[in-house]
Amino acid sequence: MTTTPLEDNPLLEGLEIRRAADSCILVIFGASGDLTKRKLFPALYSLAYRGLLPEHFAVVGVSRSEETDDEFRERMKASVQEHSRDPFRDDVWEPLAEGMHYVAMDFADEEREDNLAATLTRLDQERQTGGNRVYYLATPPAVFETVVTAVGKRRAAEGWARLIIEKPFGHDLASAKELQKVLETYFAENEIFRIDHYLGKETVQNMMALRFANGIFEPIWNRQFVDHVQITVAETMGIEGRAEYYERAGAIRDIFQNHMLQLVAITAMEPPIDFTADSVRNEKVKVLRAMHTPGPKSVVRGQYGRGYIEGEEVPAYREESGVDPNSMTETYVAAKLYVDNWRWADTPFYVRTGKRLARRETTIAIQFKRAPHPPFEELSAERLKPNVLIVHVQPDEGVSLAIGVKVPGQGMTIRTVHMDFLYGGAFRTGLPEAYERLILDAMLGDATLFTRIDEVEEQWALVDAIVAAWARDRPAFPNYAAGTWGPSAADGLMERDGRAWRRR
Amino acid sequence: MAAPLGSVREIEREVATLRLAPGEDVPYQRTSVMTHTAWVPPEWVEAAEDVLAGLAERHPSRTIVLVPEPDAEDGLEAEVNVDVFQAGEGRQICAETIHIHLKGKRASAPASVVQPLFLPDLPVFLRWRGVPSFGSDSFRSLVDVVDRLIVDSTEWPDLPDPYGSLADVFDHVVVSDIAWARTSRWRRELASLWPGIADVKTIRVTGTAAQAQLLAGWLRSRLGRDVELEHEHSDHLVGVEIDGNPAPFPPGDPPPASDLLSAELDRFERDRVYEEAVRSAAR
Repeated sequence: MTTTPLEDNPLLEGLEIRRAADSCILVIFGASGDLTKRKLFPALYSLAYRGLLPEHFAVVGVSRSEETDDEFRERMKASVQEHSRDPFRDDVWEPLAEGMHYVAMDFADEEREDNLAATLTRLDQERQTGGNRVYYLATPPAVFETVVTAVGKRRAAEGWARLIIEKPFGHDLASAKELQKVLETYFAENEIFRIDHYLGKETVQNMMALRFANGIFEPIWNRQFVDHVQITVAETMGIEGRAEYYERAGAIRDIFQNHMLQLVAITAMEPPIDFTADSVRNEKVKVLRAMHTPGPKSVVRGQYGRGYIEGEEVPAYREESGVDPNSMTETYVAAKLYVDNWRWADTPFYVRTGKRLARRETTIAIQFKRAPHPPFEELSAERLKPNVLIVHVQPDEGVSLAIGVKVPGQGMTIRTVHMDFLYGGAFRTGLPEAYERLILDAMLGDATLFTRIDEVEEQWALVDAIVAAWARDRPAFPNYAAGTWGPSAADGLMERDGRAWRRR
Repeated sequence: MAAPLGSVREIEREVATLRLAPGEDVPYQRTSVMTHTAWVPPEWVEAAEDVLAGLAERHPSRTIVLVPEPDAEDGLEAEVNVDVFQAGEGRQICAETIHIHLKGKRASAPASVVQPLFLPDLPVFLRWRGVPSFGSDSFRSLVDVVDRLIVDSTEWPDLPDPYGSLADVFDHVVVSDIAWARTSRWRRELASLWPGIADVKTIRVTGTAAQAQLLAGWLRSRLGRDVELEHEHSDHLVGVEIDGNPAPFPPGDPPPASDLLSAELDRFERDRVYEEAVRSAAR
């Protein structure tokens, strides 16, 4: 059976042509890890559930621990049953499981690496995957270089190769460049897919739809009408057993360097000329380049002490298992950032992220300037708050607009109300998990929702400058209680400007 | 059981009342994407309820079910239901369903009853069960006020004759046909046979009359020449042969009716390929 393009085939006109991924083998390094269990296989199952995987497809899990193919399949089946957003169906699972294999491999073991390459070559024959490979690095960052070298040296003679690499991409600018040097020895930039899973979230993509598919927002999306922007990435959970990673990363490398700066870039970017990978990423990197390093007074860091989450007492960060009792790792960062360009000059972007905060929330709030002269009595005008457009990334995905309305009755009393668009209310189809979109995009070779190396380098340059300034002082940690909205100094950051963080 | 509502004003008041959650001052959130109007003659009520039940949760909208009873004494009889769904963390949204029995002369002027109940500035879809009474006052008045007419020509007897009347309304309202949607999996498979299928002389369809007529009409209009149709009746589209050779069977299960209607509610533009297929089928 052959297919031909629309211009040659009149029967294709009007038919919805789904983007189809080429036949390929997905090789997951770190197959015994939490990410594979909780996110990757449930995402693969959901893709299979919707018929979005290629007809000729295989998955090879690679990890250190010894496991048979059947044991691997059983383990992944259990994780799909536990974590998938779709009901478990044998008729969906069985064809996927049939193409699943497992290779135990200690990285930097040449013989095992050859064995993996031989397995992939054999599967190419059995599954008709044509030498096409998606390598997914779901391993700790320490082995990125080893794995990339191993697979890079053994690239198949036929077919394409794509490399999906999880964050963090380096620990600072220098290490990111080092890692990049290894990657580009074996892979071209258009073969490297650096995941920032926030970009796979529907609501983050909706930010672009909101801005660029609606005529009413762009004319006021600038310094003349926007007073400031607040971006919050708040978590209630602690470090969840990831002390070894978190002690080295802290909030600034875990969230600020990637998710937070990407949210700033998407909020502030100019309209791209189209929605291709390079057009979108060109505009994002311009924003990142236009951000100047915040001074020490414009950055607040914090670390949580004991407190209460959902009524339950939780330990301080320094009391968490595996954490140095004198740790100076920050679990909270707030900053005032500026994007120095024509659109945003002098408009502050207040950003904050932290663990063990009062509520789980990721929001982008655009606060507009107040009405210049409300013609109401002084008393009632006090209630007149500025309009705020809030993009709820999670939870309660949607958009709301705060507007002032008259309270029914005598007099002219104004109250702020919210007009809500709730994603789950308007579209009951269920939002796809970010990893579904990102894995499929990588198979299709579409890098729009992945970060390019120049973006990563700009992000690290900013973070390195902030961290360098931190080396000069030693704050009194812990400085906020778990279950609160962070250190009081973060409130001061806004109060000095006559503003306040949003609360609900 | 509460007495039926006898006027639009009473319906509006009841909708507002039901949106208040029991014991709460704040109404359920209503995030609507459309007004969905359904013209359901009494003999279609049961079938329509099944489809609407599957639809309400996916497309939270105001659904107005119009049941014409032209032989009854003049008047309106309506009831309102609000279905509440969980959305997000602790938030509830509602979808409203308004059943209106249009009795006597009211059945010939339905637009004047439903227009005040349309959600402002949102698209309005009209699902017409059975063969539309093309040319009737009720049909014309409703088609004039909606954005899209949705039919299922599988429900129509005496095909392909009614397709001629349907083609006459294409310039007045955008039309979707669920029977056409049911053929899309097969059309994709047939398109994949290009260029071998370019010289097809006969298409044999084992399925409903609508599916057979539409597939033949589609091939004729796309290829710009006549293609003979052989039809073997079946309740579902189970096979297509091109000049005696079976076409590949589409993968997966055929979608249920509520999914097909749901998909049509996501479309807004004219489907020129469908319109040409209908015209070719009617010839």
